[in-house]
Amino acid sequence: MQPIISVVNLHKEFRVFRHHRGALGALRNLLTRESRVVKAVDGLTFSIRRGELVGYLGPNGAGKSTTLKILTGILVPTSGEVRVNGRVPWRERKAHVARIGAVFGQRNILWWDLPVIESLDLLREIYKVPAATYRRNLDHFREVLALDDFLHTPVRSLSLGQSMRANLAGALLHDPDLVFLDEPTIGLDVVAKERIRQFIRHINRERGATVILTTHDLSDVEKLCERVMMIDHGHLLFDGQLEALRQRFGGERELVVDFAEDYPDVSVEEARIVERDGLRVTYRFTRGAVTASTLIGRLSARYRLLDLSVREPEIEDTVRRIYEERLLEKPGGNAGNEGTVGT
Amino acid sequence: MRPHEAQSVRGGEAASADWPAYAALARMAFQRQLAYRFANVSGLLTNGFFGLLRAYVLIALFGARHAGRVAGYSIGDAITYTGLTQALIAYIALWGWWDLMRSIRTGEVASDLSRPLDFFWYWCAQDFGRAAAQMLVRGLPIMAAYALVFRITLPPTPLHWLALLVTLALALFLSFCWRFIVSLSAFWMQDAVGIGRMAWIVVTFLSGFLMPVAFLPDWMQALMRYTFFPAMINTVVEVYLGLLDGPALLGALAAQLLWAVILYALARLVLAAGVRKLVIQGG
Amino acid sequence: MLSLYLRLISISLRSQMQYRLSFLLDALGSTFASLVEFVTLAAALTRFGSVGGWRLGEVAFLYGLVEMAFGTMDMVFSGFDPGYFSQQIRRGTFDQFLLRPASLVLQMFGSEFILRRLGRMAQGAAVFALSLWVLNLPWTPGKLIYLPVVFVSTVAFFGGLFVVGAATCFWTVEASEAINIFTYGGSTMLSYPMHIYADWMRRFFIFVVPGALLVYYPALFFLGKPDPLGLPPFMPFLAPLAGFGVLAAAFAFWQIGVRKYTSTGT
Repeated sequence: MQPIISVVNLHKEFRVFRHHRGALGALRNLLTRESRVVKAVDGLTFSIRRGELVGYLGPNGAGKSTTLKILTGILVPTSGEVRVNGRVPWRERKAHVARIGAVFGQRNILWWDLPVIESLDLLREIYKVPAATYRRNLDHFREVLALDDFLHTPVRSLSLGQSMRANLAGALLHDPDLVFLDEPTIGLDVVAKERIRQFIRHINRERGATVILTTHDLSDVEKLCERVMMIDHGHLLFDGQLEALRQRFGGERELVVDFAEDYPDVSVEEARIVERDGLRVTYRFTRGAVTASTLIGRLSARYRLLDLSVREPEIEDTVRRIYEERLLEKPGGNAGNEGTVGT
Repeated sequence: MRPHEAQSVRGGEAASADWPAYAALARMAFQRQLAYRFANVSGLLTNGFFGLLRAYVLIALFGARHAGRVAGYSIGDAITYTGLTQALIAYIALWGWWDLMRSIRTGEVASDLSRPLDFFWYWCAQDFGRAAAQMLVRGLPIMAAYALVFRITLPPTPLHWLALLVTLALALFLSFCWRFIVSLSAFWMQDAVGIGRMAWIVVTFLSGFLMPVAFLPDWMQALMRYTFFPAMINTVVEVYLGLLDGPALLGALAAQLLWAVILYALARLVLAAGVRKLVIQGG
Repeated sequence: MLSLYLRLISISLRSQMQYRLSFLLDALGSTFASLVEFVTLAAALTRFGSVGGWRLGEVAFLYGLVEMAFGTMDMVFSGFDPGYFSQQIRRGTFDQFLLRPASLVLQMFGSEFILRRLGRMAQGAAVFALSLWVLNLPWTPGKLIYLPVVFVSTVAFFGGLFVVGAATCFWTVEASEAINIFTYGGSTMLSYPMHIYADWMRRFFIFVVPGALLVYYPALFFLGKPDPLGLPPFMPFLAPLAGFGVLAAAFAFWQIGVRKYTSTGT
């Protein structure tokens, strides 16, 4: 079956001009054209199948928003092939955007001064949503996103969480089969974040929408995505299952032990103590160097244990390690594509 | 804000020890205005272009009379008039000045009022700094351009040059007092911006900016001269062009000074009322 | 299409009407501002008699026509107002238009409709009406038909200038202020009879940016005045060509601008 998104060897270069300041500078800007070429996207290749929920990660300036802009059709690439829903996004703008939904961070897709319900109605007209579909979707979103509290409030008066919910409703009103979400949980409190995540999971599982999620919040990724794509400096560093990422790079795991007695020395080989709080001790050990069961065996042989648990590393730490220690450097050839694309 | 905190309004005289502070404020405003480089240049071009248009209209009005004088103005005087008035636009902020009104609307004014500087002079010093910068980047270049393109009139004697400096300072002070008073309306009115816009239009109309006052019908001239608006622009024009001599010149400057004193007193009254309102009702 | 446009501008109108007193003051203010200029000119004309040989009524005809057309354009093309559009580009809200399955131009027209600019249009209409009352012109059916054509063509012409100004924002946001010289400067200039200006200015506004073909030459026709520049007698009838030609060229330039924006981003 055709993938819903197919990207082959995508390149996007920007010519950045040296900008001179001031009145005299404006003249210089006209006369001299010092520039350099910045490669925002450098040979990206991937495809996404219908129904996937993909996390798209990368530090700022990595090329994430450039990729999104190309996929949504508002930016034209320098070279490469892109097909979304069988179309070339920037060539058939109106037909393309009619089938997708997109919410970008804190930008509104609704109208600032209008009550939410009126914005939604206007979107209905713009997207030519059939009356029955509109009714159905509206009722559904009102329930799932709890819109009734602020349905008649103008968007400018909404809180961040409310505004994000309203925007999500607006983006999905026309039943798009592909949804781009850029930082949907940014600035929200824990409860609101969870609500948004549940909604995203819902539209992916129950409504079958393909979702591309870019985020800096790695808990979003942990809780929602099975597949993760990591981009940096315009290259795709990793494209595969989240678990594979963790397995390969989640260097350290933790073992938390509750001892029966307050033993003076609870050290153990191949693990170091990172925290000691009364009877509870937290050990850290390197994955691959020693297994959890070996450590548990050693400890239980020497001491009486009441309880224990094994903690996986935070994806946060894993990703940070990858960036800082450059664990996924492009070896001068092709990008380090890892894992299977869509198991 | 408690009454004793509005200390900058009591007394109202600029203590001699404060002069360095006001000078610093003026210098800061001067530099700030110079930094708006692109706005300055595009403003200059716009002012210049409109000056050109106005010059041609006046030439067309003179028509066959271009050899002689109308109401004391030669054609050269009239052309110079258009350049001079265009040069003054930025200097006296003819089309609006919103800093103080904005400060009142955002509530920043409360912190302005609790500074150990007199509120009126605090704003006046900054306005003078701004005006000096505008004269430098928008006023003088226009006059220079005019001198290149047309045959313009210059003040005839050193005395007139001196009088010009005096009249420019007084005109600016007058304009500032007016803008100050209008801006203070924000203490009482939500739609102060609308009032402000009307106020600037009134200046445009009655100051002799659009046409030399002398060209207008006698009854209009009489009406205008009962107000202080011509003292903002028309007096400067007449001094510059040397249309006033001896006692007439002194009289015009004295009238400007008198208006300045009156408006200053009015500004003080309105400010005191505004502060009272702020203190009692919390703004 | 039309219904969507009407819906979009109703949003802009409603948010303006929320501040009723401000709106009234603004509308009055803009009427007053334009009127003040004309009143001063009229007052000066009592002393001078004519401007370049044109009496008050004749100048009022030209002035009123330009002000009516510009004021109308200012409202209808509010979305393309370079001052306003440059902010849209700066904030990145233009991307939102690209993401909706609707015509970009329609969304641009629909994004703003600044009603208070009606003041300028109203003032122009008043001055124009004054001129008709003072002049007692001989009206023929041809003239009666051509007058609204000239009006609409002039709106199109000024609109084209706005569209060009908005399009330049795709390259540089700062240039939008410089465009004011053409739009506001141009309208002021066209309010007076062209023959009072220097040669190069006249030639520029006839052959390069053909503003003179839209109001001055048609005015010669309506007022029954000979052309002091001695150009061919069909000049007064080129208004629709000039006006819509400029608008069409402006939209072509706009398309180039959009293409540039989508290939280089912000």
